[in-house]
Amino acid sequence: MCASCGYPAAPGHWTEAGAATAPDRLRARFRRAQVLATALKGSGLAAYDGGQVPGIQLSTLSGAQTIVPNLEALWVEAERLTGAPIDPLSPQFLIPND
Amino acid sequence: MRLTILGGYLGSGKTTWLRHQLHAGAFGRVHVVVNEAAEIPVDDALLGGAEGPTVLAGGCVCCTAGADLVKALRQLCDRRSQIADPSQRLERVILETSGLADPAPIVALLQADPILTRHIVISDIIVAVDAAHGLVQLAAEPLGRRQVEAADQLIVTKLDAADPAEVARLQLTLRRLNPGATVSGSVMGSATTLPVPPIGTRPADLPALVGRAPAPLLPVRLSLGPDPDWSALGVWLSALLHARGDEIVRAKGVVRTPAGRLLLQTVRKVVQPPEILPVDDSRDGLDNGIVVIGRGFDPNDLRLSFQHFTGVAQS
Repeated sequence: MCASCGYPAAPGHWTEAGAATAPDRLRARFRRAQVLATALKGSGLAAYDGGQVPGIQLSTLSGAQTIVPNLEALWVEAERLTGAPIDPLSPQFLIPND
Repeated sequence: MRLTILGGYLGSGKTTWLRHQLHAGAFGRVHVVVNEAAEIPVDDALLGGAEGPTVLAGGCVCCTAGADLVKALRQLCDRRSQIADPSQRLERVILETSGLADPAPIVALLQADPILTRHIVISDIIVAVDAAHGLVQLAAEPLGRRQVEAADQLIVTKLDAADPAEVARLQLTLRRLNPGATVSGSVMGSATTLPVPPIGTRPADLPALVGRAPAPLLPVRLSLGPDPDWSALGVWLSALLHARGDEIVRAKGVVRTPAGRLLLQTVRKVVQPPEILPVDDSRDGLDNGIVVIGRGFDPNDLRLSFQHFTGVAQS
């Protein structure tokens, strides 16, 4: 941790712990973007992670964009933008996904 | 450094249990931190056989005295880092909480601290339950229930002083409140086998405390298949915890990823940084699954949703 600015304040987010090497990390980020597309379908939000800059870009249909550092922040932001949390137990997610 | 949180309601026998375990050398090189809600500490006088104890009196660490706990643990981390020889270093800290503490906020507090989160792994939450008074406390106190729900290990204390029929009922009630925890017995701190509940024993029906009765906790096991997809698990579980963090009391599992065998643990909304476990081939069939314990959902919905996100068929 940097003693003057405190960065990074916490070790990597738990959802990113599954990859240790750079290629694995990139693969995991692309996979995460893929699964996020499933999760955000129908919500009017889109997530983009090109693997170049840290974080995930979240955009709305009207073009508003924001960058969130991790998934935890993403769900908070998604709830703010859509007015309700995205619940994995809502009926649209209880059918097989092809 | 590992941290064991020892909790339990007021007078449930935490200190007695800990004193015996320390005397028997169950924990190795250990430092004890005792928290008492009262201004005058008593428990520290009873605890010998360990380094310390550090006493935090006059406030409960899960709420008012949180800063004191962080300070005390930081000091321990600091002292430990100055010892070069790994065989002399402190292995474990045991935090004996006050009887009024809820373990979940303590876990959250330690994770929010940038120094402690790098030094301390919370290895287990042990909760003592009084064999004679446990049922009454669980019936009346929301706190007693929260403590039991947060535990990995439940220890039924003072077995010698209780009616065996009551103990049997308590045992079943505890299993129903927290199906994920192991339940064991003790007398004066030494482990004692719990009697097998006679056939026909029913768990006590706990009255609702506020509003409607909380539904019992349900454990659901989810499989990640032979080639687990950590990214999909992360998206699903983080969304679930955000949307329903108060209903998902605990999630736990070991997942094999390219980064190693990861131990995933959550207490309500808080996820602990996954710990990398050593490779163990004997656990082939047990890894790559998580157990989610919670209430307020249909277990089948949870399986379907998990399948939707990860693509792994659930049986």
